[in-house]
Amino acid sequence: MPHVELDGLKVYYQQSGRGPDVVLLHGFTSNLAMWLFSGIVPTLATRFRVTTYDLRGHGASDVPPTGYTSRDMAGDLARLADALDLGPAFMVGHSFGGVVATHLAQLEPQRVAGIILCDSYFPGLAELEPEMERVEVWQGLAEVLDEAGLDVGQRVDFARLLTAVACLTPEQRSIIETRLGPPAVRWLAQLAPLAATSAAHDTFEPAGLTAEQIASLKMPVVALYDEHSPFQATCSFLAENLADCTVDFVPGAKHLALLESPAEFVARVAKHLDAFAARTATPPCAPSQVQERAASHRN
Amino acid sequence: MSDWTSEQISTDVVNLLQNFPGREYPEEVTADTRFFGDLGFRSIDAVVLGEMLEKHFGGSLPFHELLADVTASGEQDLRVGQIVAFLERHLIADNSAAPQGS
Repeated sequence: MPHVELDGLKVYYQQSGRGPDVVLLHGFTSNLAMWLFSGIVPTLATRFRVTTYDLRGHGASDVPPTGYTSRDMAGDLARLADALDLGPAFMVGHSFGGVVATHLAQLEPQRVAGIILCDSYFPGLAELEPEMERVEVWQGLAEVLDEAGLDVGQRVDFARLLTAVACLTPEQRSIIETRLGPPAVRWLAQLAPLAATSAAHDTFEPAGLTAEQIASLKMPVVALYDEHSPFQATCSFLAENLADCTVDFVPGAKHLALLESPAEFVARVAKHLDAFAARTATPPCAPSQVQERAASHRN
Repeated sequence: MSDWTSEQISTDVVNLLQNFPGREYPEEVTADTRFFGDLGFRSIDAVVLGEMLEKHFGGSLPFHELLADVTASGEQDLRVGQIVAFLERHLIADNSAAPQGS
């Protein structure tokens, strides 16, 4: 897998296709493989240059001990964009990946042509989601891990989860797989490196991305939330406060639409990216008109 | 394109999996062995596997299509036999479909 060095940080990426730049950002505790399992890359690569990468601490990328806020990650993304010579890109961010894309849009708006936020939870909008710590997806996970003899508590606590699953026995893997399926096992199997970092804490830090700053985004945004998303209030906030926000839902999904409703998810992302591209494309203009305009401008 | 046989592909895939960097799997790898469930691979390892297969067997293989099929099928895991069948489809079928003469 190709990689780039970003100020000493090794970051792995994949790139395919030709056309306007699209960057796919995975969520906290995931990696770029999630995009391959959904089949989204070949679909988009027919008309976009699609870049996927492993966020720091994730997948094959380096795992520094600190620096896991959305601001840190936005810095990595800016350096990656420079290293790969990306133009203003359409960002597709799942969950925390959407927060990273939004943070970059706030810091360096010229790099971001549009954002599709896929079921993102924003630390800067935490007060809208008082039940976040008790989301159903965590409760279900905690119940199964408890059966496997692993106590991660009833409230969202990634530090505890990362430590608990660092050394799964074959028996524990078997219980988890039977109850939650193979994707859960291959997800948990890769979390050990993050346990030794500040990631579990940092990912919930607003890091300067306040509600006001989120609301001030000017570029087109699609709030693509799951039908049964735990973050409906966040979706409503985006719809009501952003200057240019389209809301759409993925039927049947709870937070992991790529796994829960892959075909519906891919079709919607492709549709919205095509709409972005159509809006930002240079209007057709005949050469003679260009010359006339240039001439009139000179006069 | 190539002269791969089904037997060679199958043998080489098993060898690649048993010598995967950083992994040990003491039991026999068969067509029914599952990439994640049995071999204990992480999701990112599927990406590495795709690249290893391209390097070993040569050429560009649409491995991501196989991964997407795995998700779409609902099984959510990748059996060694599926990897072999995928390679047979792309390596041997391509060979037979190549233009004859000039």
